[in-house]
Amino acid sequence: MRFIAIFKAVTKNWLRSRTGLFFSIMFPIMMLFIFGSIFGGSNYVPTMTAAFIMTNGIIGLTSTNTEFKRRGIIRRLSITPLTKIDWVLGCILSQTLLNLLLTGIMIGIGWAAFGIRVIPDPLTILMIFFGSVMFSGIGMALSGSIKDVEAASAIGNVISYPMMFLSGVFVPLSIMPSTMQAISKFIPLTYFSNGLKASIITKSIDSILVNMGVVAALAVVFIVIGVLLTRWKEK
Amino acid sequence: MLDVQVQNLVKQYADIKAIDGISFSVNEGEVFAFLGPNGAGKTTTVEILECLRSFTKGSVFVCGYDITKEKDVKEIKKNIGVLPQDFNALDKLTVKENIELIADMYDRHLKTGDVIKLLDLEDKANAKFEDLSGGLKQRVGIAAALVSDPKLVFLDEPTTGLDPKARRDVWDVLANLKKTGKTVFLTTHYMEEAQVLATRIAVVNKGKIAAMGSPQELIDEYGGLKILIIRKADESLASKLDGKFEHVTMNSNGDIHVKIDNTDELYSIMSFLTAMKAEKDIEIQTPTLEDVFLKITGSKISEEGEAR
Repeated sequence: MRFIAIFKAVTKNWLRSRTGLFFSIMFPIMMLFIFGSIFGGSNYVPTMTAAFIMTNGIIGLTSTNTEFKRRGIIRRLSITPLTKIDWVLGCILSQTLLNLLLTGIMIGIGWAAFGIRVIPDPLTILMIFFGSVMFSGIGMALSGSIKDVEAASAIGNVISYPMMFLSGVFVPLSIMPSTMQAISKFIPLTYFSNGLKASIITKSIDSILVNMGVVAALAVVFIVIGVLLTRWKEK
Repeated sequence: MLDVQVQNLVKQYADIKAIDGISFSVNEGEVFAFLGPNGAGKTTTVEILECLRSFTKGSVFVCGYDITKEKDVKEIKKNIGVLPQDFNALDKLTVKENIELIADMYDRHLKTGDVIKLLDLEDKANAKFEDLSGGLKQRVGIAAALVSDPKLVFLDEPTTGLDPKARRDVWDVLANLKKTGKTVFLTTHYMEEAQVLATRIAVVNKGKIAAMGSPQELIDEYGGLKILIIRKADESLASKLDGKFEHVTMNSNGDIHVKIDNTDELYSIMSFLTAMKAEKDIEIQTPTLEDVFLKITGSKISEEGEAR
C-alpha cells in the first residue's frame, strides 16, 4: 500500500503550492471564459474539460516529476523498498483527484458566471477518472524517460497542442479534411473528449461505453508504459 | 560479519575509469570513511553500493547480498538507510511529514517522533522543509536515513556546503550514531570529519584506494615526523641545536623547527634545552591526516573539495 503514502504526500505538496494551484485553476477558467464569450452555451464544457485534463497530465505532471527528479526526490525514494508501480500509481491517482477537484471548480464557475447548467452524473465522473488516469499515465511515461525540466515541458507541449487541434476540441472534426478526420481516430484525446460529450450532452449510452472502453484500455496501457519507462538506476 | 565487501570494482565511462579496481570491506559496527577530493570516485562507489548505479566489473556484496541479483537488491534496500549527496525532500511538506513518507516505504520502522527527537528536530517538526536552513535540512536527511532502523547507513558528504557551526552540529549527531552500533559508510573531503568520526579510513584518489587504516595508523605510517617548534628563538640557539640534532631549520619568524624521529630524541632535545636554560615558548606539532594525504597523493584538498 505504498502508493497510498505517495498519493497523500504528493497531493499535500501540490495543494500547498500556491502558484501551482493558482495556475492549474486559472487555466480551465480562462478557457471557459474565452470559449464561453465566443460561443456561449454549454457545448464546449466537455471538450474544455478534456483539454485541461490532458495538459495537466502531459505538461503539468511531466514537469512536476522531472523537477522531483532534478532535485533528487525520486532518487531518494528509489533507495527505499518503494516499487515503480507504487510510485507511478500514487502520482497518477494524485493527479486524478486534483483533476476531479478542478473540474468541480470549473463547473461551479461555469454555473455562477455563465449560467451553464451541467451536473456531472456518475458516468461522467467515471469518464473523467479514466481520462485523467490515461493522460497522467502518459505524463509518467514522459517524465520517466526525460531528464531535464525544460525538455519535459517542451515535449509535453509538442505532444498536447497538436492533439487539441486534431481531436476536435477547438475545431469541430466535421469541418476538417478527411485525412485529418482519419488521424483523429488515433488520438487518445478524441475518445476522451467524445466520451465526455456523450456523457454530458447527448447522453448516448452506446457512445459513452465505446469511448470509455477505449479510454480505460489506453489508461491501463499507459500505466504499464509509464512503469516500464521509469528508470531509477543510472549508468 | 562484513557489511560491505567489494572486490576489484571497476566503473568505466566512455573514456575514463571513474573507479579503477578497488577492493575493501566494512565490518559490522564500524564507521568507515572514504576520504578524497571531488572526482576521486567516492560518490560513484557509494551509489553502486546503494544499487543506484551500474558498474563495469568486480563483485559487490552489501549486508551479505549480491547487488547484481534483483532479489538481493530488494533485501539490500530493506537493510540500508541513505543520506544522498544534495539531499532534498518535498518542499511543502513538514519535517515530520517528510520523515513519515520515508518511514511508510518500509514494513517496519521506528516511530517518527523518536527519530525527530534523536536528531533534535522537535522544534522544527511542523516547519515546512523549504523553510529550513542547510544544516537542518541535512538533519532531516539523516533522520530519514535512520527511520527504517537500518543495519547499514550511507552518508554521502553529510556536511558539504554547511557553515562550521552547522557542520559541528551534524558531527555531534553522527558521533551519537556511532554509539548505537550501526555500521556507517561515510564519504567526505574534510580531513577533520574523517578524523573525528571514522574508525577506519580509505584514502581515495583518482579512482583508487591509495591507503587504508585507522586514522592513527595512517598518521603513523604516512604522517611523517613530529615537529618541535621553539617560538621566537635566537640564531645562536638554532646553531647549537643544529650541531647536535638533525633536521633543524629556522623560519623568517624566528621559529626553530626540529623534526623528531622518536621519543628518545624528544627527551634528549628537551634535556638539552633545559641545560641551556632556554626559557622559550615550546610546542610539539603532530602530523595530521592532511600530511597523510599530501604524502600519499602529493596534493592538498581545498575547502570546496578540489585537489590542488
